[in-house]
Amino acid sequence: MTKKLRIYRAFLSAGMQEVSTYRVNWIFYMAGNVMACFVSYFIWKAVFLSGNNNSLNGFTMSQMIVYIFLMFLTSTMTSSGGTYDIGEEIRDGTIAMRMIKPISYNATFLFQELGNKIMTICLLIIPMVIGVEAVRYNFTGEVQFEITNFLIYVVSCVFAYLINFFFNISFGFIAFVIKYLWGANMMKNCIVGFLSGTVIPLSFLPSGLEKICLLLPFASLNYTPVMIYLGIYKGSTLLYYLGLQLFWVLVLWGLSKLIWKISTKHLTVQGG
Amino acid sequence: MIKVENLRKEFKKTVKEPGLAGSFKSLFHPKSERVVAVNDISFHVPKGEILGFIGPNGAGKSTVIKMLTGILTPTSGTCTINGKNPTENRKSYVKEIGVVFGQRTQLWWDLPLRETYGVLKEMYEVPDDSYKERMSFLNEVLELEAFITSPVRTLSLGQRMRADIAASLLHSPKVLFLDEPTIGLDVVVKDNIRKAIAQINEREQTTVILTTHDLADIELLADRIVMIDKGSNVFDGTISELKSRYGRIRELHLETNTKNAEKALGYREHFHFSDDDLKVEQEGSSVKVRFNSDTVSVSDMLAYTLKMVNVKDISVKDADIEEIIRRLYRQGV
Ligand SMILES: Nc1ncnc2c1ncn2[C@@H]1O[C@H](COP(=O)(O)OP(=O)(O)OP(=O)(O)O)[C@@H](O)[C@H]1O
Ligand SMILES: [Mg+2]
Repeated sequence: MTKKLRIYRAFLSAGMQEVSTYRVNWIFYMAGNVMACFVSYFIWKAVFLSGNNNSLNGFTMSQMIVYIFLMFLTSTMTSSGGTYDIGEEIRDGTIAMRMIKPISYNATFLFQELGNKIMTICLLIIPMVIGVEAVRYNFTGEVQFEITNFLIYVVSCVFAYLINFFFNISFGFIAFVIKYLWGANMMKNCIVGFLSGTVIPLSFLPSGLEKICLLLPFASLNYTPVMIYLGIYKGSTLLYYLGLQLFWVLVLWGLSKLIWKISTKHLTVQGG
Repeated sequence: MIKVENLRKEFKKTVKEPGLAGSFKSLFHPKSERVVAVNDISFHVPKGEILGFIGPNGAGKSTVIKMLTGILTPTSGTCTINGKNPTENRKSYVKEIGVVFGQRTQLWWDLPLRETYGVLKEMYEVPDDSYKERMSFLNEVLELEAFITSPVRTLSLGQRMRADIAASLLHSPKVLFLDEPTIGLDVVVKDNIRKAIAQINEREQTTVILTTHDLADIELLADRIVMIDKGSNVFDGTISELKSRYGRIRELHLETNTKNAEKALGYREHFHFSDDDLKVEQEGSSVKVRFNSDTVSVSDMLAYTLKMVNVKDISVKDADIEEIIRRLYRQGV
């Protein structure tokens, strides 16, 4: 076990070095995300200002703004580029180089991305949390930060990331086998963005649809951690949603293993 | 050690008709076509042998190597290495082999070389003392010291290739697959790499399969040759067998002031050479004649030449393996 960890630690540190080697790239990527976040902030502000009520589906404007910024923080922490990376590796044939090594393909990917994530989180989480709390304080006049909620939120984000990772790996292989990777990826991002509550809170949906969405793995990606941070999921509800997340982690992990087994048989490694 | 039987690989390829209209057409009705990259290939390699695996561009060499290393699954046929099937139980299989693809690296682009070897050590569970001993040996033959602290992406082609070969040998593999390991290297580096391969093979009885377009690699290293073309076996045997099987091509060089020597000499009419057995080239006063010495003996050829034209200088050369292979590739056998 420790031996295994030592192998994968190298991938972890390679992932961390990637961020510092390609830091300009990283900065632009983050800046793009921040801008997208502000765009949605202004849109929602306009929506609230044009309406007569100061609450929309039970959300006040201040809650909505906190929601947007938290969504941004969460999706930064739980995003995974597996689909795209796998597509690239298959396209240029570097996947072969992972296949000739006595290690798990998925695990090397996971640790490399985790290395990347750790750097990102170290750089972003403190300013982001302070920012979110400042907005909340500004609207309510009191500090609402709860350390237990925050710690459970972090755990929930780890589950969310794993779900996202295994889902993206599986999707990447399927999409590549059917050969429409790029378009399929766009479509996937759109659908997942909607179903995970990044675009609008799931509680805005008709209640039947909301119930279904909450069961799907996508709600576990962003919506669940945000609800935990905000202290909306409590007690047995909290345990239920954490259990659901764990369930999806296991299911998608199994699925990704299965798909890897099947798709390597059909893989065409190009070049050379 | 290595058994390859009736190996076959087909690829599905989507064909696009030319032009914009073709693009639209293939968007809605993609047509696919089967490409047979490897048709039917069989060979055996005993333990400790270095096999030269050659063939013209597009013959299917890399595809075979990919199947032997478990990267591609064969359409039909089998390959067994050490009694193992590469596509079953991949992780335990790849522990016993070393692989180098000359055109791409297996090293991590962003890691310094030394760290890369550290990772490989853990991955292949190489004990500390044999790792040390191994590294100093590889350092000696491949001269890695100068760039061992640099990240892989900053290495030159030759440095990277040396680093890659060292990486493939770190865990003392039983079988080594080398797909064009000397591509794009200078003569000194080529020499060092050949030396490393020969030494490892001798010390550890490593079985080696080597594809290359540099026939010097073959002549210096290979115990045996397997030649393929269009996905099928063409020849399987030693270099001397190749030479005797495909005729003894000799090269006659002469200096003469005769303007059209070929016509004046009239070899073809006199000796009844077939098209493949004779080739005459003239450049100014120097004439090159390649002929099959099984059809006409060297002494007959010399005597006849001296009789027909006025010769200032003449010499006969044994054709090298390169010439034989050139002939084989050109004919497509
Ligand atoms: N992914 C693929 N899809 C379709 N055809 C392919 C694919 N890969 C290889 N081929 C075809 O299979 C044939 C054999 O290719 P391969 O790469 O094995 O040749 P090679 O003997 O290694 O040639 P070279 O000496 O040029 O490296 C070629 O005709 C090639 O066009
Ligand atoms: Mg090749």
